[in-house]
Amino acid sequence: MTTYDRLVRILADEHQLAPEELQPEARLDELGIDSLSVMELLFKIEDAFHIQVPNDQVQLVTINDIVVYVDALIAQQAVALAHQAQS
Amino acid sequence: MRRVALTGIGVISPLGNTVAALLGSLAAARSGVCRLEGGDYGRLANPIGAPAAGEPVGVADPAKLRMMDRATRFALDASRQAMAQAELPLAGLDPARVGVFIGTGMGGAQSTDDGYRILYAQQSDRIKPFSVLLSMNNAAASWIGLEYGFTGPNLTFTTACSSSAVAIGEAALRIKSGAVDVMLAGGTEAPLSLGPMKAWEAMRTIATEDAHDPAASCKPFAKNRTGIILGEGAAVLVLEEWESALARDAHILAEITGYGLATDVSHLTHPSVQGQARAMQLALASASCMAASIDYINAHGTGTPANDPVETAAIKQVFGHRAYHIPVSSTKSMHGHLLGAAGALEFAIAVLAMNADLVPPTANLQQSDPACDLDYVPNHARADATLRTVMSNSFAFGGTSVALIGQRAC
Repeated sequence: MTTYDRLVRILADEHQLAPEELQPEARLDELGIDSLSVMELLFKIEDAFHIQVPNDQVQLVTINDIVVYVDALIAQQAVALAHQAQS
Repeated sequence: MRRVALTGIGVISPLGNTVAALLGSLAAARSGVCRLEGGDYGRLANPIGAPAAGEPVGVADPAKLRMMDRATRFALDASRQAMAQAELPLAGLDPARVGVFIGTGMGGAQSTDDGYRILYAQQSDRIKPFSVLLSMNNAAASWIGLEYGFTGPNLTFTTACSSSAVAIGEAALRIKSGAVDVMLAGGTEAPLSLGPMKAWEAMRTIATEDAHDPAASCKPFAKNRTGIILGEGAAVLVLEEWESALARDAHILAEITGYGLATDVSHLTHPSVQGQARAMQLALASASCMAASIDYINAHGTGTPANDPVETAAIKQVFGHRAYHIPVSSTKSMHGHLLGAAGALEFAIAVLAMNADLVPPTANLQQSDPACDLDYVPNHARADATLRTVMSNSFAFGGTSVALIGQRAC
């Protein structure tokens, strides 16, 4: 399952949205997902993807923005883990 | 001075989640107190409490619900009921002239408790992102303002067990002063989780379980009283400027005429006759009301050894010999102590009782304490009473003492 598919599942469950509404280019604000909901979503993403989302402010406008952000964190943290394992 | 009409009441309570259900329970002297089962309740010395009669309704959006503590959900449902009864024409209201005053003693205590469980018991650092929003004391008032779009004053009062009586009194003053035209005022509390209950247990104020009937564990004014029973719920009232209410032909449940606010500085927790009496005297004075006109008093009547004889003496000091002829009841015997929501629920009960010509009883009163010698309406409600003016007392740890007076609309 891709990051996008898993994200759609979380959003559909938490916000009672139909999966077909959750296209990659869909804007979060137009889906009724405000800044507080994004904060909650990032918390759930941490659990679902076993990653740590840093406290930095990031601009997440569309669903695809989240996918890109999460994929980058997964890659980053996988590299960090590999370095830890080697050292 | 402008006058204040009460045109809507909403309740979530251990005696019912509608005003009709609440009145029915009061008339039947039915208790909402019970043994609390499951969860952590086994860790309590006396696992007894008065849970709400059912779950609150009215907020459908799960994303919003996740941001609301139980206390906030109670307050929103009570507001919805009160607004429905008042039939306020929202389209005709200037939202800047509508305010929300809510009292709560412990705010989102369950959410705070949940956070501590994660942090300390589970040794996890993953505190939920909405923890602050769930537990902040002003959450209930804020959500009510948000839901209805009221942009007038939005305040939260925390004066322990008199919080919501203060909220109602202060709301009435705002209308009288001309600052606003409509107020939603009341209180909410949801203290039935382990942390708050353990804290109250540690104060040695919780009643021991009645050997025969847990529902009868709270015994205000009785010789064998042993303390309070914690209850949960909310009560919210719609208050309006009198002439506007008349102009729109609203059904007026009462006029709020009296509000007495005094501070008892004798001790942090032990009440004094002077402090309690002064709140009642100030309420009578503000209502331009003779002591002789009070037909019913809903007492603070906690069922603690400390409060009940002091409140009895305070009532006698204010009303003189007539004190013996005024029915005085503690409905906490049935719905428990709702802490910050107690004042609003009990004033609502006094007004509902006045409209129903019913004197609510003090349940579980088999033998009065000799120091408590008034007419406490023991064990059975009295129907066919004629109540024109009612008083509700609310006293608090910290000393903020309040009496409210409601009069039949005329």
